[in-house]
Amino acid sequence: MKKAGFIALKEIRDFFQDRGDLIFSLILPVLIFALMYGAYGQQLQFNITAYVVNQDAGGQYSQQLLTQLKAHPGITLKMLNQEEADSRLERSNIQMAVVIPEDFSASLAAGRSTQIVFKQRGHGGTANQILAGMVRGEADQINREVRLLNQVKTDLDGSGASQQEIEIMLQTVSARLESEPAVKVADETLGARPDMVSQFLPGIMTMFVLFAINLTAQTLVEERRRGTLERLLTTRLTVGELFAGKFIANTARGFVQTIILMLLAWAVFNLFTPLSFLTATVVALVFSAACSTLGIILASLTRSQNQATWVAVFFSMLMVMLSGTFVEISPGNLLYSLSKLSLNTYANEAFREIITNQASLGSLSHPLLVMSGVTAAGLIISRLLFRVNQGKS
Amino acid sequence: MPDAFLAVENIRKSYRDIKAVDGVTFSIERGEIFGLLGPNGAGKTTTIRILSTIIRPDEGDVRINGFSLKSEPDKIRGLIGICPQELALYADLSAFDNLVFFGRMAGLSSQEAREQAENNLKLMGLEERAKKGRVDKFSGGMKRRVNLAVALMGHPQMLFLDEPTVGIDPQSRNNIYETIEGLRRKGMTILYTTHYMDEADRLCRRVAIMDGGKIIALDTPHELKSRFGDPEHISLETVFLKLTGRSLRD
Repeated sequence: MKKAGFIALKEIRDFFQDRGDLIFSLILPVLIFALMYGAYGQQLQFNITAYVVNQDAGGQYSQQLLTQLKAHPGITLKMLNQEEADSRLERSNIQMAVVIPEDFSASLAAGRSTQIVFKQRGHGGTANQILAGMVRGEADQINREVRLLNQVKTDLDGSGASQQEIEIMLQTVSARLESEPAVKVADETLGARPDMVSQFLPGIMTMFVLFAINLTAQTLVEERRRGTLERLLTTRLTVGELFAGKFIANTARGFVQTIILMLLAWAVFNLFTPLSFLTATVVALVFSAACSTLGIILASLTRSQNQATWVAVFFSMLMVMLSGTFVEISPGNLLYSLSKLSLNTYANEAFREIITNQASLGSLSHPLLVMSGVTAAGLIISRLLFRVNQGKS
Repeated sequence: MPDAFLAVENIRKSYRDIKAVDGVTFSIERGEIFGLLGPNGAGKTTTIRILSTIIRPDEGDVRINGFSLKSEPDKIRGLIGICPQELALYADLSAFDNLVFFGRMAGLSSQEAREQAENNLKLMGLEERAKKGRVDKFSGGMKRRVNLAVALMGHPQMLFLDEPTVGIDPQSRNNIYETIEGLRRKGMTILYTTHYMDEADRLCRRVAIMDGGKIIALDTPHELKSRFGDPEHISLETVFLKLTGRSLRD
């Protein structure tokens, strides 16, 4: 099998030297990925800068409010004075400023009402409305705590309890309320995690690996066109070794392609843990091998570059569509049954399971077996289909 | 034939209704340059493709150094080198890399392949450009010489040369002639096809003329010429035209 390794090395070197192939296989998926991030990335994380005018600087409750706001992921606080805030609002430089009044802490401590003001241009924009809701929530919590404190103080007044004892009791009650709220809220998700990235990213990753079967299909056609195929077949290289070399090279290409996209997905969308990434690596390898085999079957069948291109494009588009890459296919209809004919369906399912449920290799045995079966059967079929009869004298 | 290195026994090959090779029988002695001549479509290339194990004959068999094409094609592949009519090279590789690659495919070790590549390129007068630049930047003559140098990788005992001098300048052609004669002197058996009759007359000890998939004449150039007149005053081309006719072939 040394000769197969040598063929594979040559193929890989050719691939990295051919800019067209490189762009198609590696850079294009990354660009699509970047577009996807632009489209969906912001949906995953709420990011906003809250412009705050704190006229109660040093006040206990204003500090508490700011600390609680800071604790929200995605909120960055930027302090302004009143003049700066007015000026920037005037210039539409900012859309909203949160104004904490001078008497904020003093009024709360004295049991009097106080008021936070959202100074905004128009309605301040959707993100600022969300921010305003979060500020209201935090203010509400402080409000409840202060009222509770005042109520307890009033109730315990004259009971002989010291101020320190009252404080400790209040802290205990607050902690219990926080850890054991009367009304709990839980998320329960049916099916895949309902975000666009985990739904469609596996499809994008597998789509490009499948598209690359066009490149695989071209490899034998190109050898035929150059006349090197006949020359190779008159050497000690066997057809099996030739196929093995092509298979290894194209599997490696698909694998590298998928790994790059998986690493990006991990870095940008935080879709993997170290363990799930390893699991996904195995799926990527098996899927790449299956795609490589499909490419070699097409290479065995087709005789010209045009034939190879059209058959590969038709075949890969059909598989991509059937696998629900762009639209979710619900169980129970004809399309769902047809989707089982697509290799991508199994790879997408496996990747989704890994991303959403941290699935282990054991639980992915079905898609892995199907893809491995396609690889084994494909190698045998392509070998049987291979014919070198190329015209006549 | 006392020492037939290659023996072709009644081979036939058809593509649908067309008989590309129709009962061809001949043999080549060890160390002989044998010319296979014929107009376009005569069946020369199909015959070479059969002999070089690329396609299987429908009928008949071929023995090379005693090995049967039908039952021992792998052993035959270890004995032959082929220089196809069309350049069969990796255009994006250097001449040296092409030779090393095919050397590895012929079963040579990395070191052997490199050494033999250097020797063969020197033999073809290509040592200067061996590692410089891709083959597709070479002139036609240089590409032809690389094509022949590749065929020599792996120490073959028999060479199939299918029109190796098409479209090249006299200098390159002369280099190829000298190389072929040098190989013959070293004991290489060569099957040579060409449309240049003077080339066949110069190089080949015997020639077979094919037409319509059959061998219509087989002898030394001198004997073939003497069938139609004074061999000193008649060319092999005249003999060829008398045997195959003057109608155009596509």
